[in-house]
Amino acid sequence: MLQLVLFNVTNGLIIGAFYVLMALGLSMILNLSNVINFAHGTFLALGGYLAYVMIPYTGYWLALLLAPIAAAVIGFAVERFMIRRVYDRDPVYSLLLTFGLAFMIQDGARFIWGAQPLPLTIPDVMQQPLSEDLFFVTYYRLFMMAIVAVTVVGLFAFLRYTRLGVRIRAGTLDLDTVSVLGVNVRLLRSLNFGVGIFLAGLSGVLAAGQNSLNPTMGDGLLMPSFIAIIVGGVGSLGGTLAGGLIIGVASALTTVFFPEASDAVMYVIMALVLLVRPRGLFGEEGMLT
Amino acid sequence: MSDQKWRTVGRRGLLRVGLALPLTAPALISARGETPVKIGIIDPLTGGLSALAVTEVEGAKYAVAQVNAKGGILGRQVELLVEDSANDVGTGVQKARKLIERDKVDVILGDVNSAISLAIAQVTSELKVFHIVLGGHTDAITGPGCTWNVFRVCNTTTMDTAAITETLVKKFGKKFFFITPDYAYGHSLQDGFVKRLKALGGSYDGNMLPIEATDFSATLIKARAYKPDVLLNNMGGAAQIACMKQIVQFGMQKQAALGGALFELESAQSVPPEAQSGWWVMEWWWDRPELPGVKEFVAGIQKATGKTATARHWMGHVGIHSVRLAAEKAKSLAGPAMAKAMEGMVLPPEIALQPGKVYYRAGDHQLMSPILTGEMHPPPAGKSKADIFTVHQVVDGEKAAGTVAETGCKMVHPA
Repeated sequence: MLQLVLFNVTNGLIIGAFYVLMALGLSMILNLSNVINFAHGTFLALGGYLAYVMIPYTGYWLALLLAPIAAAVIGFAVERFMIRRVYDRDPVYSLLLTFGLAFMIQDGARFIWGAQPLPLTIPDVMQQPLSEDLFFVTYYRLFMMAIVAVTVVGLFAFLRYTRLGVRIRAGTLDLDTVSVLGVNVRLLRSLNFGVGIFLAGLSGVLAAGQNSLNPTMGDGLLMPSFIAIIVGGVGSLGGTLAGGLIIGVASALTTVFFPEASDAVMYVIMALVLLVRPRGLFGEEGMLT
Repeated sequence: MSDQKWRTVGRRGLLRVGLALPLTAPALISARGETPVKIGIIDPLTGGLSALAVTEVEGAKYAVAQVNAKGGILGRQVELLVEDSANDVGTGVQKARKLIERDKVDVILGDVNSAISLAIAQVTSELKVFHIVLGGHTDAITGPGCTWNVFRVCNTTTMDTAAITETLVKKFGKKFFFITPDYAYGHSLQDGFVKRLKALGGSYDGNMLPIEATDFSATLIKARAYKPDVLLNNMGGAAQIACMKQIVQFGMQKQAALGGALFELESAQSVPPEAQSGWWVMEWWWDRPELPGVKEFVAGIQKATGKTATARHWMGHVGIHSVRLAAEKAKSLAGPAMAKAMEGMVLPPEIALQPGKVYYRAGDHQLMSPILTGEMHPPPAGKSKADIFTVHQVVDGEKAAGTVAETGCKMVHPA
């Protein structure tokens, strides 16, 4: 029994790490632009599809890099031509816009690639488990963890040590003042949105390797990402990291003992956190108000 | 010239035309083929089951084109109205009401999702509309929840599990682990397996997971600890694909035999070759050119859609032709008349595309069709990508279905 629990805690951390990757992009967009991006899941799928198209020409490894970049470029354009127009309006407008955008991207993907799931094949070597005992830790899952770790460290370094990152952090706290200081806030938001979509696209390529590549593949991953942000605290990327890992472990453990509640447990955790600490575990008071 | 003519038509002339119109109108409408026969099809074109839904609709469209080319139904052309249930019960019910009350359809077909099929059946029954469930498998539809107006083309979960359980036990052993979707279809399917497994002295464990689950790692850890002889992947659509991929990545196919009820061509083609394995049920298979009509059907679907025909194409095709045959026999599109006509109706071989007698059983409205069991494998070198299943056994559908009394259906016709 102890072994089963330990296995599932480890497994939960792997699952949670993946939620973190998606939630970080979502969180960056939410923090700076106050936009709850309902289209994030479909950008994830788009990343997977772009990789599927690229792999025959570039191979898997280059597609893993290029597909998220291509998704980010599309995200950048979407922000400039669509999202930007609703920043000064009630948040409901951005909700509705991204909700509609999600349907547009989904239907576009269905039109281009069809509804039938597509096989995105990962290199053979990645498909093997580490050992007979640690059969659930495949090289692919380990690779995903490494990507998440590098991304998290890279993102934190970017936000702390680069001028653009510092501006994004400052904008998260007080965008008006950042604007008064002469920073091009419009460009800042576009770039930030692009970075967020890059992370969604990267999640998509990684998810397609172990799930099914289809137009709605992001739907099931979107809600855990939102929950990770809320549990960790809106405005805190560290909180998002913690939130993702907490719900990943909780979900894995619940699947073993009470599988029917493996989704519900995430909502229970969210409700408890909101009751006890409405700003989330590491969130700052007043965010999103 | 024409102006001159109009001016010469006097008051009396207009009156004569006016009086004559009501008498001649029915004949005029009849001559131009009247309004089309409207068939509404509701399927989850978006969501995790969309690949299955799309092919089901393609099969129906193909059959509609065939029917229209041969003069339609009762001399009227057929119009197919397609609605997306989005894999959501509430949306499915709303679409059924819209099709019946606003679009005035004569017949409803659908849904792939069993829970939606059951919910739609309540609506069609209440509004007395003839309804054929093409691909929702849960037993209740033609079992305890059967209604006079609802017929079903695909198998029941009882039929599918009866067809494969014994094979799995004989080949691999009596200890099963189920990975099952937590909704009407999954519950019904697992109940069917458990009933037969227990009768054969077997034991089991398993997890019921959300229908759109994406991660199966925790369940696979539990399965490994259980050390089953057979690992049954009962998920559907995208979830089944993700589950198969993860089973193979964890090397679980080396620990236990893989299998289950359905691993449909749409899904099986979307997994890597190493995940194309295990023992499964197929409700219809394309590579049986020895059967009448199959070769033409497969070629027709290929031409129309660019795809190899699947069981879902077959279900859509059978559904539309069943409507035609029932309407022609009843000489009416009224629900009660069509339902009576369809009871016991034997499908002609070129429609059934299956061996033996294929018919709608009167007692529960279930299509009695042979069930194919066999092995999934990667396509042999030089063969089609769809050549991934070898039929090992053809199981008699009626034998697998059990008696009407066993289904729990108590059919009540309207007074």
